[in-house]
Amino acid sequence: MRRSYAICALASATLALAAGPVAGQAPAFTPRDESPEDYPAAAGREQTFYACTPCHGFKIVAQQAQTRQQWNDTLDWMTQRHAMPRPSDNDRKVLLDYLETAFPARAPRGWQNPFQR
Amino acid sequence: MPGKIERSIDELYQDDRERADAVAFDRRTGLHRRGFLGGTGLAAMGVAVGGGIPFAENIPGGLIPASLIPAAMAQAPAPSAAPKGPQYLNFPGKADKLVVLGERPLVAETPEHLLDDDTTPIDKFFIRNNGQMPEAAKDPDAWKIVVDGEVNQKLELTLAELKAKFRPVTRRLVLECGGNGRSFFATQARGNQWTNGGVGCAEWTGVRLADVLKAAGVKPSAVFTGNYGADRSLADASKDAISRGVPIKKALDPNNLIVFAMDGQPLPNVHGGPVRLIMPGWPGSVSSKWLTRIWLRDKVHDGPGMGGTSYRVAINPMVPGDRTDEKNFKDLESMPVRSIITSPMNGTSFGKDVREVKLRGAAWAGDLTVRRVDISIDFGATWKQAQLSAPKNPYDWQRWTATVKLPNEGYYEIWTRATDSRGVMQPHVAGNWNPQGYGANPMHRVAIRIA
Repeated sequence: MRRSYAICALASATLALAAGPVAGQAPAFTPRDESPEDYPAAAGREQTFYACTPCHGFKIVAQQAQTRQQWNDTLDWMTQRHAMPRPSDNDRKVLLDYLETAFPARAPRGWQNPFQR
Repeated sequence: MPGKIERSIDELYQDDRERADAVAFDRRTGLHRRGFLGGTGLAAMGVAVGGGIPFAENIPGGLIPASLIPAAMAQAPAPSAAPKGPQYLNFPGKADKLVVLGERPLVAETPEHLLDDDTTPIDKFFIRNNGQMPEAAKDPDAWKIVVDGEVNQKLELTLAELKAKFRPVTRRLVLECGGNGRSFFATQARGNQWTNGGVGCAEWTGVRLADVLKAAGVKPSAVFTGNYGADRSLADASKDAISRGVPIKKALDPNNLIVFAMDGQPLPNVHGGPVRLIMPGWPGSVSSKWLTRIWLRDKVHDGPGMGGTSYRVAINPMVPGDRTDEKNFKDLESMPVRSIITSPMNGTSFGKDVREVKLRGAAWAGDLTVRRVDISIDFGATWKQAQLSAPKNPYDWQRWTATVKLPNEGYYEIWTRATDSRGVMQPHVAGNWNPQGYGANPMHRVAIRIA
């Protein structure tokens, strides 16, 4: 049951072409369904899930471990190079709050780099 | 924020740097550590360290924040539908022990111990896609490729014509993802978290790209290629998923093939069939799958996947995690030297009287060859040289063997370190951090027990 958010409605519109297989053919591979509940519970989970998954699986998101600034840069990268609709400032905050909470940079252990915050 | 969030099990074992650890204790077991303390994960963790794990309160302080434990222990079993541990591939014709890194696009790597064949069989070969895989071609021989741009004569060739007009050759060539090893960066870099499994060495049959380019007549104005495939962008099916290229000098290397067969079989669709490029030694992304066009350009190619920080490394070394200045980046060209232990498998237990273990592995070095491989059983304190075979042909990997003696019962790590033909060795840790995580080639290590 996909809820509609402004941000993902926009994305879905751009992606109508990609939603189905190319040129009416059966896809060579059908990914399994995934849902927001597959990922860590925190505020903004659904909105983030549906902002990212019009184009790609969420597993690639969940593989990452980044600071808020790096996540912000990643959103810029997605909007500038990968056709993601630019989120409003409010939407961006929701996405960053979730991404930073659910997939944070790893806490340093052992040897630590003095140049890193 | 780093430090505010409790550590997950993959972080707990981060310094072990092994495939099982990186994948088995996937971060998304949850902020509540359901997957770990709920049962399955705890058992898996026990397997990883080779024995029973005391329950949570006995895990040394500092590894898991004490404040986490009561809440975590109170957690009900995970309601999540997410699979725990590695997700294995389920795809026709492919081994079910490949590890899925993502399904959209489909990406799966080959654990090191499955790379134990001299020639990687099709079923064990890793899968990397950047977009939507096209449907398998109904009439492969009618597949058309175009060579145009800075050529004297534009060529349009069907696969049948390609086979008829040019002499086929078969070569064993390493194909390696540009991001292979990415997960070894201590400050995590963006992208699929490959261990060492974004690589394979198959026997490819095709015609030489250089012969085809010469037939078209390369103009002196040609400086770069733009390689195009039929895979569509996931974001916009009217666009290419990826289109990368190489300088004309690399393009004319006689080892590049336009390939139509893999290990003696027609090239499978999932590997870019019916026809793809193989430009060995460089990031796999230049070896376009479902090849449709080679555009010779009078400037550096600017397709999707070129420029920015994609397939690029820092010119002046950067602090891991720092902001990116795109002017400080250059294309990753030759892949760095790497070696892997393909037998025994990480996590193997031997009988308590075993004092000698035979090792097998592979080593390769992008455009270069491997001069030697050394093995350590004491974390790099002492080294022993392995027997290294010659490559069958340029860009083949080199298989190696060694026998190690183990003085006592107990836990050992076997480390392998290759040295390339210019004397450059694999480092202990991944260096030269860059935001998209290219060039991580630290020594491979497997853990074994004599018990």
